[in-house]
Amino acid sequence: MGYNIIVCIKQIANDIEIDPQTREPVFSDTKYRLEDLSRNAVEEAVRIKEKYGGKVTGILFGTEQSTVVMKEAMAMGADEGIIVKGFKENSPDFTAKVLAERIKRIQYDIIIIGYASADSYTAQVPGALSILLGIPLLGSAIKTEIADNKVRITRESDDFDIVESASMPLLVSVTQEANEPRLPLLIQVMAAAKKPMSIEETALKYDGIDKIIGNKAPESGRKHIIYEDEGKGIEEIVKIIKGEIS
Amino acid sequence: MKALLFSDRPLVTAQMSSLLCDYFEIGFMAYSKDYESLKDFGAKEIIVINGEYSPAESLAREIVSYMKEYDYIFIGATVLGREVGAMAAAISGAEMKSEIIEFGIKDGKTTTKRLYYGGKTVLEEESNAKIFTVSQGLKETKKIESSPKKNEIELKTKSSVELGEKIQKATTSTDITKADIIVSIGRGLSKKEDLSIITDFASVMHAELAGSRPICADYHWLEEERQVGLSGKKVNPKLYIAIGISGQIQHIAGMRGSKTVIAINKDKSAPIFSECDYGIVGDLYSIVPKLTKILRG
Ligand SMILES: Cc1cc2nc3c(=O)[nH]c(=O)nc-3n(C[C@H](O)[C@H](O)[C@H](O)COP(=O)(O)OP(=O)(O)OC[C@H]3O[C@@H](n4cnc5c(N)ncnc54)[C@H](O)[C@@H]3O)c2cc1C
Repeated sequence: MGYNIIVCIKQIANDIEIDPQTREPVFSDTKYRLEDLSRNAVEEAVRIKEKYGGKVTGILFGTEQSTVVMKEAMAMGADEGIIVKGFKENSPDFTAKVLAERIKRIQYDIIIIGYASADSYTAQVPGALSILLGIPLLGSAIKTEIADNKVRITRESDDFDIVESASMPLLVSVTQEANEPRLPLLIQVMAAAKKPMSIEETALKYDGIDKIIGNKAPESGRKHIIYEDEGKGIEEIVKIIKGEIS
Repeated sequence: MKALLFSDRPLVTAQMSSLLCDYFEIGFMAYSKDYESLKDFGAKEIIVINGEYSPAESLAREIVSYMKEYDYIFIGATVLGREVGAMAAAISGAEMKSEIIEFGIKDGKTTTKRLYYGGKTVLEEESNAKIFTVSQGLKETKKIESSPKKNEIELKTKSSVELGEKIQKATTSTDITKADIIVSIGRGLSKKEDLSIITDFASVMHAELAGSRPICADYHWLEEERQVGLSGKKVNPKLYIAIGISGQIQHIAGMRGSKTVIAINKDKSAPIFSECDYGIVGDLYSIVPKLTKILRG
């Protein structure tokens, strides 16, 4: 018994350096990790498995570097991993199509995904995925429960929270307030190495045609005057504040 | 050309209207509860949805049904709006750009800007996008005399999502995007009771209070409208004082427009110090009351 749970995972660059001359991001040697809200998604999927039984399959639309990222999800408790290679930056509609195409070939009851991602923050994939798969989206969940094949969430929204429910199969997107992702123990990290992982290319063709005019870090121009002596700092800051409020 | 604007927050619809009214003949889609407050913001037509909240899919399908009449769709980037936009794009097959902070049209193509890499860079693109979500608080609203045609509708698609109990949150009418001075607090504050240290400080300067995402969205020590950052408000005060805020990129994304930034943090290596003009390394519990006392005079 239990549920077939799919968790959609994104990878994110560990840190992006900005070239001080061109103000453009530099990608030499970039390392990737499990994206922040994907971490919340994995945690939620694993909690559902622990509470109701079942299996968690991670699916990651990524690149050559994705195996380490999938291992992170497995150390947290995902049982199996599917990596689909061919990820294109800044193309959430393509990501949703690739994920939908792959997920259609898997049996599932519930799909968990992050509400948005910490780098591109388009929030486009959950909505698109729900349309492409023809399943309901319970979005922006801070609490997820299952009873009688129905999923019930508390949705966090701008002016109020609201309880929403729908029948499985369905898609749930989670926010960072949904849970506190676990830090895997060393033994779990080691066990992750033995879990099954498949790597494939996507069969879908990317037809993106947008022109990128620029992608630069804004000029900072901050003064960076830092006081380590508290007394001196207070004295100087008071002058600045008085200058501003007068 | 015509553009249809929708947001579940009427303020955002009005902001979008002042951003876009020079480019398009504008129509709004709005909930009946918001109709009165939106009458004077330049719309030729207001499509009024009977009700006050609906699942994203019902809204998305309704919006797509107007894409024959309207050339472009703009949706306020709220929790609901982002989902509506994504679904409308998937249903119609139209291209979409999300969370835009600037908009223009050149030779039939749109040019947009949005934050990227968590706010580290600004991505400027030229595309054939027809659907956009628009960052909240981008523009001052401006009243424009108009006598919109009122078109009352019921949403045609019933969603398979059932709505349950609504839990009202503490809200404020304060708009921090208009503030001159902002005192912003982060997890350096250890408990809600200590908030008075910060409110005292803010009140001697007549400053508005704001906070990081954990303070507003997770602990609810401040109302969510006061959250600054990538998923919150983008502010541009004369003075922004960040207290006990580490300065993760998603927070910086919301306060970059500030003229002068002061940071108080006990960790010398906190990233906020590379995004400030003046900083004090030290304990906020010692520093802030002293600042308040001196400023009170
Ligand atoms: C998709 C996404 C969107 C996000 N959107 C936003 C957003 O819109 N806004 C936002 O703020 N965050 C956002 N975040 C979260 C962001 O990444 C950070 O986690 C968050 O900003 C951290 O908040 P903080 O600085 O209050 O807490 P922390 O990072 O925990 O920092 C607390 C700081 O307080 C300092 N401190 C502790 N005690 C004291 C003391 N006594 N005196 C002085 N200093 C002290 C510490 O040195 C530390 O630097 C987002 C994240 C994601 C993934």
